[in-house]
Amino acid sequence: MSDDAVASLSGVSRTYGGIAVLDSVTLDVGPGVTAVVGPNGSGKSTMLGLLAGAAEPTTGTVSVTDPSGPKPVGYLPQRVPFRDGFTARETLAFYARLVDADPDAALERVGLSDAAERPVEALSGGMRRLLGIAQATVGTPPLVVLDEPTSGLDPGMRERAFRTATRAATDGTAVVLSSHDLELVDDHADGVVLLAGGQVAAAGSRGDLLDNYDVASVDELYRAVVGESVAADASPAVHVTGVSDR
Amino acid sequence: MRESLAGLTTIFRRELATVLRTPGYGVLGVGLLALLVGIVAVGGGGATGFVPAVVDLLLPTEVVVPLVAFVLGYRALLTDTESGEFAVVRTYPVGVGGYVLGVVLARVVGLLVVVGAPYVLVGVGIWLTAAPDTGIFATHSGVDSPWLYVRFLAFVVPFAATYLALATAVSAVAASRRAAIALGALAVVLGVLGGDLAAVGSLAGGTSPEAISGLLVRTPNGAFRGLVFEHVVGVAFAPEGGFVATGRALASLAAWTVVPTAVSAATLAYGRRLDAFLEGVRASRRE
Repeated sequence: MSDDAVASLSGVSRTYGGIAVLDSVTLDVGPGVTAVVGPNGSGKSTMLGLLAGAAEPTTGTVSVTDPSGPKPVGYLPQRVPFRDGFTARETLAFYARLVDADPDAALERVGLSDAAERPVEALSGGMRRLLGIAQATVGTPPLVVLDEPTSGLDPGMRERAFRTATRAATDGTAVVLSSHDLELVDDHADGVVLLAGGQVAAAGSRGDLLDNYDVASVDELYRAVVGESVAADASPAVHVTGVSDR
Repeated sequence: MRESLAGLTTIFRRELATVLRTPGYGVLGVGLLALLVGIVAVGGGGATGFVPAVVDLLLPTEVVVPLVAFVLGYRALLTDTESGEFAVVRTYPVGVGGYVLGVVLARVVGLLVVVGAPYVLVGVGIWLTAAPDTGIFATHSGVDSPWLYVRFLAFVVPFAATYLALATAVSAVAASRRAAIALGALAVVLGVLGGDLAAVGSLAGGTSPEAISGLLVRTPNGAFRGLVFEHVVGVAFAPEGGFVATGRALASLAAWTVVPTAVSAATLAYGRRLDAFLEGVRASRRE
């Protein structure tokens, strides 16, 4: 693990039904925004779930550098899981109470103060995601894991959700998010992890990767790396229902 | 410790709010009330006194209360694990034990309302309408009394709690709503009929009839029935008692509540590790 790593995966593999979804992944996650990109079924959700502690690796270890705080990891799964029948404020207050935080401040941070009294089921998809980001960041955990925070949103809401997520990456906090919005990744990510076929095809700071592959954008990097990787690895990407919903 | 207690309280409050905001549970309570009123009216016990009413209610209670408890509990833990919210809650300082206990305690409070209120209302109805005078607080056996009905209620609540705990365990083990319904139905049938069938089987196998009360007390239904006979029905008709050992029956009900709750907590705490371990075994077999 490098000195400034907030979390790390060491030789991590995960199988579902005996089929490898993630295969021998070793990776350090440092402060700032790290975007995990890759084709559907490449293992992004699995990797993020392992980082968040939502699943156990079949082999290998996942560690968070400072697990001593009240909330070492903040996590937003791909499907925002809040209960119907509660308002946005009640939902966030439930989580905030667990870490002695202020739910109103958290709502304000993601711009949902005006929708505080609206039931969760009456929120738009974008608002639910913003509420999810507020939940993941409440209690200021050193590691924030967001699985597809912009999935299914219109361009304006995507930008807003991404900006809100990346704003959390201050004071040494690491934000790890998966996304198919390569433009937004280009604009906001400090580091990029490219997954293909359950393995890390490329990882590093965005600038270094663009230089190394002699490309101008993350979109071009994706085509260069994933294209090569898919060609080199004849095995098809694994899609696991419930793990990779998209 | 303080943090764990705060977590448990927070989980409890949210779960209780969920129960109170579920209109279906209110409908369930009204349905149970209608059923109980119908039973004491048709059976005639309600017009005679508390003990006759308890006699009328005993068998239906053994079937209906487990069903109501299962409706209240069969998705208690499954909802959060299915939606992924449990994975989110786990990132907060809440232990699995505190989480399960918070959920179970809140559902028990819900159960007290959904099951307890109809029984209390039926008791009040008997008090107001039954003849001869049922307003006597008995100090001697052989006299019908509201206290006997209160005792009956005091046994209904822990009896219901055992099935709620079982239902919660089912919700922890089941992978889907359908599986939870199937497992729950199986558990209710086994719970309601299993003990009696096992006792009949034991008799056929040569077990002495004196030992039957000791065997029956091992199931929630047997323990509940034994306690009702010992402390409610039997008080009026057989003062010497001897239907069941009270301590053993209460211990049985407590065990049937605590053990399934512990199973729920263990399943949530170690289920993921077990799953990863089994996946590892499966993957190594493929290689």
